[in-house]
Amino acid sequence: MTYARGARLRFTLVFLLLLGLQFYVRPRLFDARVAPDFLMLGLILFAIRSRPGDAAILGFLIGLTSDALAPTRFGAGALAHTVVGYLAAWGRAVFFADNILVTAGVIALGVWLRNLILLVTAGTGGNLLFEMAVWSPLQALSTAVAGVLLVMIFRDWLAIRLEE
Amino acid sequence: MPALDRSRRDTASFLLCLALSVAGLFLPPRTSDRVAAGVRRTVLAPLVWLQQRAVEGRTSRGRFDAAEAQRDTAVLRSQGLDRLQGENAALRLLLGLGKRPELRFVPAEILHQPQPTDGRSLLLSAGARQGIQPFQPVVAPEGLLGVVRTVDEGFAVAMSWADPEFRASAVTADGAVSGIVAATAAESPSLALLELRGVPFRDSVAVGTMVVTSGLGGVYPRGIPVGTVLAQVRVQEGWERVYLLRPAANPSSAVHVMVVTGTRASTVAPAFLADTAARDTQPAPVVRPPVVPPAARDTVRRRPARRAPAADTTPAAVRTDTTPARPDTGATP
Repeated sequence: MTYARGARLRFTLVFLLLLGLQFYVRPRLFDARVAPDFLMLGLILFAIRSRPGDAAILGFLIGLTSDALAPTRFGAGALAHTVVGYLAAWGRAVFFADNILVTAGVIALGVWLRNLILLVTAGTGGNLLFEMAVWSPLQALSTAVAGVLLVMIFRDWLAIRLEE
Repeated sequence: MPALDRSRRDTASFLLCLALSVAGLFLPPRTSDRVAAGVRRTVLAPLVWLQQRAVEGRTSRGRFDAAEAQRDTAVLRSQGLDRLQGENAALRLLLGLGKRPELRFVPAEILHQPQPTDGRSLLLSAGARQGIQPFQPVVAPEGLLGVVRTVDEGFAVAMSWADPEFRASAVTADGAVSGIVAATAAESPSLALLELRGVPFRDSVAVGTMVVTSGLGGVYPRGIPVGTVLAQVRVQEGWERVYLLRPAANPSSAVHVMVVTGTRASTVAPAFLADTAARDTQPAPVVRPPVVPPAARDTVRRRPARRAPAADTTPAAVRTDTTPARPDTGATP
């Protein structure tokens, strides 16, 4: 087995773990608005180790699932996840962030940006300010904390180099 | 592959995904609902099943005590219900009214999603298989949550009151003032609340008044709590008042809901007896209180040894629900 194929397999296993966390553990956690978004976490972790085009495709697929499960405005989730996936991969290539805090920041910013695009595209119903100032930062923070823990545990599997 | 080609491929992939997403935004609602249902039924079926088990597990363990306390409160309140039903039946016969249509409901769990728009459209864990149909009301223990929009075999998607397209005919609890309830207008600041619109200028509603569904329109049965009046927000051109309501139920935090079925009668004839001329020629009917079959009674009556029996229940023997009867939830979907 080549190194690249092994790395892909390991990441697939981590992504399957995140799927399980999203659909089996997340509903048992605290308030759904604040609980970490494990699929978004998987997208950003994939994006910071992949090419922007591949990240955009995975973002589109994850967005499609979110549109199917919460169909407020079909297509809004796909658009938001595509943009965030592409930007995360492109930003990783440009800024070359190998620091745990920068990784956490990219995750938090990705969640916040996804929520902003989603709310603007789907129509806010008047509570954009409250969503973006209260609930989205809390969800971004919890997702970033979950991301840091995951990266610390699966550092080798995710092929992410972190500066000490 | 040369770097330039890879860069072009990335851009092409991004633009293709972007174009497909934008195309999804402009799909007709019926088509997009069909695509979403198809994805739910096929690719996402095992994942949604997993989430359903998780939510049921959380409900059955974490919320068991709360549900038991609420049930005991309901038992306390229903002590005089048989006598009341008998009196009601007698009065309806005297007024020439037929039997009141009975409400049936299907219990369901909300499968919450991480998106910020989750409070506006809710995925329910019951669908056509359980008898749910579009346009049936979704009710939480605290009050009205929304209405069913689309139905799959095993799931239903409901539009909550937080959706800008939601409307419900409502009336104050005393029946004096009526209007239309909708989510706050887009220019309203911060919190998502409800508005009671279309209140005639000559009427006014006091702060703290409970607003319930009026039963007009045939979708929501009368009497479901919608919210409590917080303040008058505006007067439109001197002919209507608009009031701000604190919603009774919060779609973002609700977990267990009831979908009210059987509310849409095809004819209202059964609600009335024969015409008055015919009634006057008939002998006066014998009024009997309704008999409730033992099998239909709740588990408290079926298990008298564990809980205090309904017939001689003393208030001290029944655990009272710790939550207030109609809590102001401060809903923020």
